[in-house]
Amino acid sequence: MNNENHDHEAAKITNDQIENRPLVERHTNYWRSFDELNNTPEFQKSLSTEFMSSPLRAESLNEGDSDKWARREFLKLMGASMALTGAAGCIRRPVQKIVPYVNQPEEVTLGIPNYYSSTYFDGQEGFGLRVQSREGRPTHIQGNPDHLYNHGAVSVRGQASLLGLYDPERLQAPHRNLFNEKRTNKETVSTSWEDLDKKVVEELKKGSVYILSGNIPSPATQAVIDDFGKAFGSQHVVWEPISNDDIAEGQRASYGEAVVPYYRFQDAKMIVSIDADFLGTWLRPVSFTRDYANGRKQIEKMSRMVSFDSTYSLTAANADLRFKIKPSQQLTVVMGLINEIVAAGHGGGMSTGSALTPFKDAAAQLGLNPEAFKKVAMDLWNNAGKSVVVAGGLQTRTADSHQLQIAVNFLNSLLGNDGKTVVAKQGMSRLKSSYANMTELVKKMNQGAVKTLIIYRSNPLYALTKDLGFAEALNKVNTVIYAGERMDETAAKAHFIATDNHQLETWNDAEFNGGLYSIHQPLIRTMYDTRSFQLSLMTWAFIANVGPKRLITYETFYDYLRAFTKEEMFSKHASGRDFETFWNDLLQKGMVGEEASGGGARGFRGDAFTNIKKKTASSPYELALYQKVQIGDGTLANIAWLHELPDPVTKIVWDNYACVSIKAAENLKLKEGDLVEVKVGDKKITIPAHIQPGLHDEVVAIAVGYGRTMAGKVGNKVGQDAYILSSVVNDEVLFAGLPVEIKKAGGHYDLVTTQGHDSMEGRQIVVTATNKDYEQNKEANIHRHHTWSIWSGHQYSGHKWGMTIDLNSCTGCSACMIACQSENNIHVVGKKYIMQGREMHWIRIDRYYTGDVANAEAVFQPITCQHCDNAPCETVCPVAATVHSSEGLNEMVYNRCVGTRYCSNNCPYKVRRFNWFNYAKLIEKPMHMALNPEVTVRPRGVMEKCTFCVQRIKVGKNVAKSEGRLLKDGDIKVACEVACPTTAIVFGDLNDDNSRVSKVFKAEPRAYALLEEWYAKPAIRYLSKIRNNDLVTAPKAHGDEHKNQVTPPEGGHV
Amino acid sequence: MNSNPMRRVPLVLGNKTLKQITDDICEPVETIPSKGWMALFLGAKTLFIFYILTIAIVVSTGMGLLGVNHPVGWGTMIITFVFWVGIGHAGTLISAILFLFRQKWRTSVARSAEAMTVFAVMTAGIFPLIHTGRPWLDFWLFPYPNQRGPLWVNFRSPLLWDVFAISTYATVSTVFWFIGLIPDLATLKDRAKNKIRYMVYGALSLGWRGTAKNWSHYEMLYLILAGLSTPLVLSVHTIVSFDFAVSNLPGWHSTIFPPYFVAGAIFSGFAMVITLMSLMRIGFPKFKDYITIDHMEVMNKIIMMTGLMVGYAYGSEFLIAWYSGNDYERYVFMNRAMGPYAWSYWIMIACNVFIPQIFWKRNFRRSIPVMFVVSIFVNIGMWFERFVITVTSLHRDFLPSNWGQYAWSMYDTAILCGSFGMFFTIFLLYLRVFPAISIAEIKPVMNVGKEDDNKGAH
Repeated sequence: MNNENHDHEAAKITNDQIENRPLVERHTNYWRSFDELNNTPEFQKSLSTEFMSSPLRAESLNEGDSDKWARREFLKLMGASMALTGAAGCIRRPVQKIVPYVNQPEEVTLGIPNYYSSTYFDGQEGFGLRVQSREGRPTHIQGNPDHLYNHGAVSVRGQASLLGLYDPERLQAPHRNLFNEKRTNKETVSTSWEDLDKKVVEELKKGSVYILSGNIPSPATQAVIDDFGKAFGSQHVVWEPISNDDIAEGQRASYGEAVVPYYRFQDAKMIVSIDADFLGTWLRPVSFTRDYANGRKQIEKMSRMVSFDSTYSLTAANADLRFKIKPSQQLTVVMGLINEIVAAGHGGGMSTGSALTPFKDAAAQLGLNPEAFKKVAMDLWNNAGKSVVVAGGLQTRTADSHQLQIAVNFLNSLLGNDGKTVVAKQGMSRLKSSYANMTELVKKMNQGAVKTLIIYRSNPLYALTKDLGFAEALNKVNTVIYAGERMDETAAKAHFIATDNHQLETWNDAEFNGGLYSIHQPLIRTMYDTRSFQLSLMTWAFIANVGPKRLITYETFYDYLRAFTKEEMFSKHASGRDFETFWNDLLQKGMVGEEASGGGARGFRGDAFTNIKKKTASSPYELALYQKVQIGDGTLANIAWLHELPDPVTKIVWDNYACVSIKAAENLKLKEGDLVEVKVGDKKITIPAHIQPGLHDEVVAIAVGYGRTMAGKVGNKVGQDAYILSSVVNDEVLFAGLPVEIKKAGGHYDLVTTQGHDSMEGRQIVVTATNKDYEQNKEANIHRHHTWSIWSGHQYSGHKWGMTIDLNSCTGCSACMIACQSENNIHVVGKKYIMQGREMHWIRIDRYYTGDVANAEAVFQPITCQHCDNAPCETVCPVAATVHSSEGLNEMVYNRCVGTRYCSNNCPYKVRRFNWFNYAKLIEKPMHMALNPEVTVRPRGVMEKCTFCVQRIKVGKNVAKSEGRLLKDGDIKVACEVACPTTAIVFGDLNDDNSRVSKVFKAEPRAYALLEEWYAKPAIRYLSKIRNNDLVTAPKAHGDEHKNQVTPPEGGHV
Repeated sequence: MNSNPMRRVPLVLGNKTLKQITDDICEPVETIPSKGWMALFLGAKTLFIFYILTIAIVVSTGMGLLGVNHPVGWGTMIITFVFWVGIGHAGTLISAILFLFRQKWRTSVARSAEAMTVFAVMTAGIFPLIHTGRPWLDFWLFPYPNQRGPLWVNFRSPLLWDVFAISTYATVSTVFWFIGLIPDLATLKDRAKNKIRYMVYGALSLGWRGTAKNWSHYEMLYLILAGLSTPLVLSVHTIVSFDFAVSNLPGWHSTIFPPYFVAGAIFSGFAMVITLMSLMRIGFPKFKDYITIDHMEVMNKIIMMTGLMVGYAYGSEFLIAWYSGNDYERYVFMNRAMGPYAWSYWIMIACNVFIPQIFWKRNFRRSIPVMFVVSIFVNIGMWFERFVITVTSLHRDFLPSNWGQYAWSMYDTAILCGSFGMFFTIFLLYLRVFPAISIAEIKPVMNVGKEDDNKGAH
């Protein structure tokens, strides 16, 4: 009973059946004929002669008249029997009976994947998933396109979490720790569930139980925890390293309710972000990215995004206008903007008191151009009700963070955005984590008020600031029970490890925000002797026989979940269906309900604003901790895909680092990769420096989530733990704005990047234009080349595949890279080999800086095989291993490749990847289960590259053929396209006049081919990027070596 | 040296008799090797074994051990391949083209120069085979009837042309060299003092009896082979240059490559001949009468001239890059001279263009130590020329995001040094097994039996 058995077939086997098993194991559920059922001698005989082609049988039939056999047939027989002997020698047949897939589950067709709805939650953001399952094992995670919460987009971490399921280092059984008295040692041994349950229940009965967990998006799990609380009187404490309690508290102070609202970037024409990395890591970055891009699809009406930031985040990189600030200036920015609006005589009716007085000259305090600053404020006002101001994330957790949130709320209310673009009703009500909860818990632990602490998927011993003294407090807790899937930093200090299932092995549900109810289906039966946390709680209550009935009635969490759904969710979402139909629909679609909307403006509590007084003093160097898109809070640090994924902005892999500006590096005499000692108060770390163009000169920005010590073989000692620098000041845990001492520590460390050069060198690679340029000329800044050929080129009579990539939508989030890696079995090579230039990604995102280096702007460009019509790689391969298909694909024949690498040399885009070593050999079991069987795992010595997901093209064509219809545009979606939250990537048939791609190829003025003048005739068109910043690009002579210099129309530079 | 300015300088010094010549030239083959030779051979052989081990490790582990990467897909192996193929050129040029032009001075150096060619091509020929990702499938590069369709090779690929060019060249130059050896092998057979020697050289000399008919056939065949070899001198390196010139990479895609490569090949080949001949003169002092300072001087003149030719090619590449107006090409050349690999570019320029110019001075042209040092510089310079062409073009091409550096590893060093071990092992063995100077050809260019006032050479 140690797993939630969702295999109903197996569940039906009762004890009776087990005990009365026949001696000879034979599955009697199915039989081939009545003869078999009765097992008659005739049947036995027919069995031996069943395989008519057996050479043995043929021989016996012809005994005595061998002269009938012609030589040729004799040889054939010889060959066959040789082959059989050979096979018998090679194949290790198990002695026990093995069962082929004869009793094929109803829904499984071998070779055809199934897709199941599920969810993923990373602590802040949730996703509805549609997980691909092949022969019972999940192989690829993609979003559920029908899910109203994320509309088919999944973050890099959500997609990569698949690899966690197959992580060989995942715990495979319950464990207990053989502590000495002071608990200084760490000797965990595996134990049995019976033993563990018995001991745990004994401890639980002593009372004073606390459960510490991360955010719980699941109503059913929350119900189990609450029911458990009723059973044992336990208290539930919710804490995440990345908490959004600043927002919730700010909302409470401003409007009286503690919610994390939803921000509608889609509806906002003017977006101002104060260090809120809403495109990368803040709250719901993937959904926000999608909304944000949707608000910019129509160039004429696109939104404007202004970023004031202290870390060069993804949001900063995408901003139309970017202002660099330091964390202590965040409040000044918001107050300054309010002041500008109020000073212009707007926003009457909201009392500001004297709060604005210190911010009269905010622009000067910030060192920004007053005109430009005023323009931002006026743009906000002119878009009142259609704008949004956001602030948040680790970078804003300064001493002023509470006031910052109030000021932002005030500004949104002033602009009339509340209820329109800031929707509390649509908020994420289950993001309950807070540092206050944690502080309170530690206090109780120190008082000895916590006898038993159950920790569920939370890692305070890694991510919590040492100032709170959690480790010391934990020693005062009699019994620590850890429910997680890995032996991490916290698990090592627990008495019992009630090993949890992987997310993909667990039933669950989720309510990411009000109104939407999602189901979380398991994709695979538990691989090991693990048990879900929910079932553990239920089991303990059952053994102790305490608690509400539903907690102790059900044998599995699945049953509990069903009952819970029936009780609490069914009535809300039934819409006339009976429960079975409702349940089936829920499983199939993955969710029910719709997002709550509207709500109207809330009244702002005036005194919250008028009391604002800036607390953070400016210091010469200020700390700004931030999250990276790939690693986030560090939970998934053992997933190699994420470490190998280049940071979207810095393009550095496998490390974190202290970002300093170019000027700061000059002052400190630092070169890229020089080790620096970063000291905050009495805490210090030594970390390599990264020189970040465009960063504020007085900021030291370091990503958290690295430097894990017990993440596993992959994640251990990658980077430095920056959580150490977070500090408690006045009972608040601060991550930014703290004064930092930074000095050269001596020594050098190799920071490895996948991108060799940051400037486009004046070449036409990423074309950018401004909104003013675009008004003048829709083809602005695209230099078209006159190309011609003396031969007619390939003819494509059937399909001709092509792709368009809208650089105006692409934010560089890198979701496509992980999707491609998962879909196409792309190997991870590690830091050392990336340093040598051996990364394997088939799609990569190039990031170039433009403008002057001190205020560098960034542009992104996904690059993959361009599937050229005149492919330079094809002509030079001596063995014809890369060839042109009749549908325009540039195909790579791995079997034929001998590995001369000439194709790579001749590829102008350098998209080909070579297998320098036998990477496939390094795939440790059971990691091989994550491989996509439709894509060859490439051996050593062959070239590989993007195939346009040729396996998906085949599937799409086959489906259309079997349904007897023509292929429709959108039938075939390649992996990167599916993953792209902004639909920047579109794949389709260029021979279909109505396809989206052919329309772009024919008529889109912003479309251009990369390196068009080289006349490789790529099958990809890029759409130029438009910056909505009201500037005009100076005309650029062709062949001019200089960069696109942007000059403002009236002097002031931004 | 001689009083009559109209009189030609004798090609062989020391007033040798015919017997003396035979004795002198056969001596290295018929005596116990000196300590010097043994030391050199042991060194070269050790390096060669080391080379075989390195290749074994690379083949069994993967190309990733070398510095080749993305974007620099070709590295040490291709660079060193082109280097050795280039070396090979001087031999055929001396033995075939100079033969057709009746340049008598070629006789003293032709045998060894050609041996050098054969061994250099052997050394070079290994690289295209082992530089592939899956060397065990290299036979797929040959068009042969097969059961895969049959699946044919891609005749549009310059690499395939290369396969033909190199294999043809290797075959023809080996045959040409061997044919030239036949009369001398017969001489060795005749002089053999033990049975094994007699039988081995007897077999190798293919029944040569030195009859008039033998000579007549021999001369005809030699002439025909010389005729066949001559276009190969030009074609092989032309086709090797196609590997680069036919691709579309800035810095490679250039019509100047064929003549430029051929000039460079002759340049490096003669430098290697000078290196080897200098060593032979030291190792076998008697050879000084046959390989005279005059011979060396002539070759130094060729080095000087071909050095100027490659210098011209370097210059014209820049001119064309500028004149083409092609941004990418301009960048590649600016990057060569000023980028991260500028040091290699300037090593190349210094060694190939400037250093050989000291040969304008007669004393330097005729000084063995000077020419030895210069020849080493030229060899270094020509290796770097191929390094510059291969690496600097690849490392920064069209999209700056791709830019990268070559990740030189210790395996690159081992492969490069090891190839010299292979070459020298074979060459040192050759010196002890075959007559290093053609006995049969040297005798007709002697002044023996002629009057002192004989006008011109025979």
